[in-house]
Amino acid sequence: MAVQAITPPAVKRRKMSEMRRREAVAGLVFVLPWLLSLIIFTAYPVLASLYYSFTEYAITQAPRWIGLDNYVNMFTQDTAMSTAVYNTLYYTFLSVPVSLLSSLLIALVLNLNVKGIGLYRTLFYLPSLAPPVAGAIIFIIMFYPDGGLVNGVLQFFGIKGPSWFLDWRYAKIGLIILSLWGVGSSSLIFLAGLKDIPAELKEAASIDGATAWQRFWSITIPLLTPVILYNLVMGVIGSFQILSAAIVIGGTTGKPQESLLMYMVHLYRTAFRYFNMGYASAMAVVLFVVILVATLLIFRSTRSWVFYESEGR
Amino acid sequence: MNNKRLNRRAFLMTGAASGLALLAACAPPAAPAAPAAPAEPAKATEAPKAAEPTKAPDAAPAAPAAPRTIGENEADAITFWTPGGSAAYCAGFDVISKQFAEANPGMKVGGVQCGAGDQQFLEVFLARVAAGNPPDVSIIWDSPVSLAARGALEPIDDLMKGSKYSAVENWPAGLLSSCQYQGKTYGLPVAAGTYGMYFNETLFEKKGISTKREDFPKTWADLRKLSKEFTVWNGDKLEQTGFAPWAPDMVQMNIFAALNGGQFYDSAANKFTMDSAQNIEMMQFFLDWINEEYKGDLTALLNSANWGFYTDGNGRPPMWQAGKMAMQSDGFWVSGDMYGVELKPEAQKWNVAQYPVGPSGKGTKSGYWPNWMVVPKGAKKRDDGFKYADYIAGKGIEVWFSAVPDLPANKLVSTDLLPKKVVEMRGEAFAKDVMTFFRGQLDVATPMWNSPVQNFANDQITRVLEQVYTKKTTPKDALAAAQVACQTELEKVLKA
Repeated sequence: MAVQAITPPAVKRRKMSEMRRREAVAGLVFVLPWLLSLIIFTAYPVLASLYYSFTEYAITQAPRWIGLDNYVNMFTQDTAMSTAVYNTLYYTFLSVPVSLLSSLLIALVLNLNVKGIGLYRTLFYLPSLAPPVAGAIIFIIMFYPDGGLVNGVLQFFGIKGPSWFLDWRYAKIGLIILSLWGVGSSSLIFLAGLKDIPAELKEAASIDGATAWQRFWSITIPLLTPVILYNLVMGVIGSFQILSAAIVIGGTTGKPQESLLMYMVHLYRTAFRYFNMGYASAMAVVLFVVILVATLLIFRSTRSWVFYESEGR
Repeated sequence: MNNKRLNRRAFLMTGAASGLALLAACAPPAAPAAPAAPAEPAKATEAPKAAEPTKAPDAAPAAPAAPRTIGENEADAITFWTPGGSAAYCAGFDVISKQFAEANPGMKVGGVQCGAGDQQFLEVFLARVAAGNPPDVSIIWDSPVSLAARGALEPIDDLMKGSKYSAVENWPAGLLSSCQYQGKTYGLPVAAGTYGMYFNETLFEKKGISTKREDFPKTWADLRKLSKEFTVWNGDKLEQTGFAPWAPDMVQMNIFAALNGGQFYDSAANKFTMDSAQNIEMMQFFLDWINEEYKGDLTALLNSANWGFYTDGNGRPPMWQAGKMAMQSDGFWVSGDMYGVELKPEAQKWNVAQYPVGPSGKGTKSGYWPNWMVVPKGAKKRDDGFKYADYIAGKGIEVWFSAVPDLPANKLVSTDLLPKKVVEMRGEAFAKDVMTFFRGQLDVATPMWNSPVQNFANDQITRVLEQVYTKKTTPKDALAAAQVACQTELEKVLKA
């Protein structure tokens, strides 16, 4: 049987009408400010950082290509790196779950139908508006070992409070407690998620005899998992990037005893105190990769614990 | 009703025109703000910045200078920046620039750029140098050597030679070394507070100990012996110190290293000497002292009270003013700043003395915390900028001193300058004596702030102090680790 060669019909490209072309141009003009800002202030710095990470660069001199030296030094020579990584991981692994739990608890309380709930919501959100530096200073005063509010309350209950930010054993714990200062915004996101849960599901469960805990664990939590995922991802990214509070309390040496020397503090001082912009860029690239991998791992785990109502999983 | 429709083109053009008009309306005015007069120095309200060479300047409630956009200036004026400071400090420069213009017809200085707003001064400064648009002259609080090593500053040796005040011989050698790198000079240490030993005369008198300056301990061993006389414990609570050996910071450790015949950095050999025998001996001496006299728990000591001259970051009042410290090392600025916190009667009589010498030391030394003036690389008016720095170094410093009493370092500056607060509180004769003492300390100042990786080295010394005093490691190991880290960092910079 003869095989007839089939030639695909030539696809004729439709010429754009004058009106559509003008619309496209107008659209481009409208998005141009945003596009330019993205290219100049985001894309270019990101790519430049990547380039500088392979150079010796002190801002005021032309960068000198040194290949992978910065990356090699980071893992072999930089004695502060292991401390900074340990402190940051310690902070992340404790502050993220504690913040998530706290904001969820606050959201549950704010979801109650009590008088003046609007005022409470505002009050819980207010600290999120305060600058991180101000928050850090307030906490330094509150955690002052002798006469500070926190130790005063502990003393009232007969407990001798620690020295918090003056003692390396407690400084990171203090910083984690400080991170709770800003849970108002994630609480509001949780609150929005709670409001989205259909009341009839809980009513049906009640009729079927489910207890409050069973309703919470089997209805509220599963339906809230997309919001938990969002807050988890944002929390992890934010905690890896902890800088302002740590630098206000511990300075660029992470006092006391480098207990507050976070990765970003080390990066900042490398760039702007030691003038080693190339190395700092390499640190930024590594941080970016670590956050990316952490985020991807979290997303990969979602199949087993995040429930999307629309997808029925 | 007008039914005329606005087409897209007209809409875009109207929008663009409105945007441009809005931008034009929001642009900053061209002329700089009128200068404000300097005010009398008052109590210090600004704490010294960590690891930056500035002291707590006296913050008098002067009229604040109008906000200025960075770089805003008249085209023919010299642009001058300073990293920040109180309103009185900043306003003082407006007076100095006016006087400079009167003394140098045809030259003028634009309004001072005092600080960098919400940004870090050094970030802005370096960015401007990199962009080829720096100020013509600037005060900096980072070591000129470290900036010169990165090509950010102009060498000024040629200009110094023909200058009115700033020839090499008019600067104490130990101070000028902080501006010298590879045979060239990159700045002027115009104001440099020197350090000395403060002691409480009332506490001395109560113990029947001589308060004469010449009778102050001459060796660390004597100082340690005397310190014991004053240290008071109430159970586990430290109530009074003789001398607190854990208190000297990384800057003062350079002085103690010199007092023991050592140094942290040898600029002639481009080599760190952190782990020299003298430095190990010094750290061991202080550690033994803390163990013997202060029960050896640094955290407990830091928690016990604020053993210093300033209210600390935790809001704790300083113990010097409470009359609970017999002796402590600190800088000239403390002589006025201490009155920022009310002095108890038992703290009102104080004096200063030279540093005792360590076991391996050969003579007394001092150190300093300077304000440098530099001409950045690429300055459009290099010569004029230097001329202004030279004027400030020799003459303008008098106005600076009246606003904020930072110790003048140039030898040609009048010796009649007296810190007003000390005059007010202790009388003119005592103020003159204190001023003479601290200016004399300039002559025995050890070279410091002279490493191309100064900030890195400072952080390493801070790390050593913490690790040794908390017994995480031995002085030898801590200094050896710092040595390796500093030398590695230095070699990277030298290679670049």
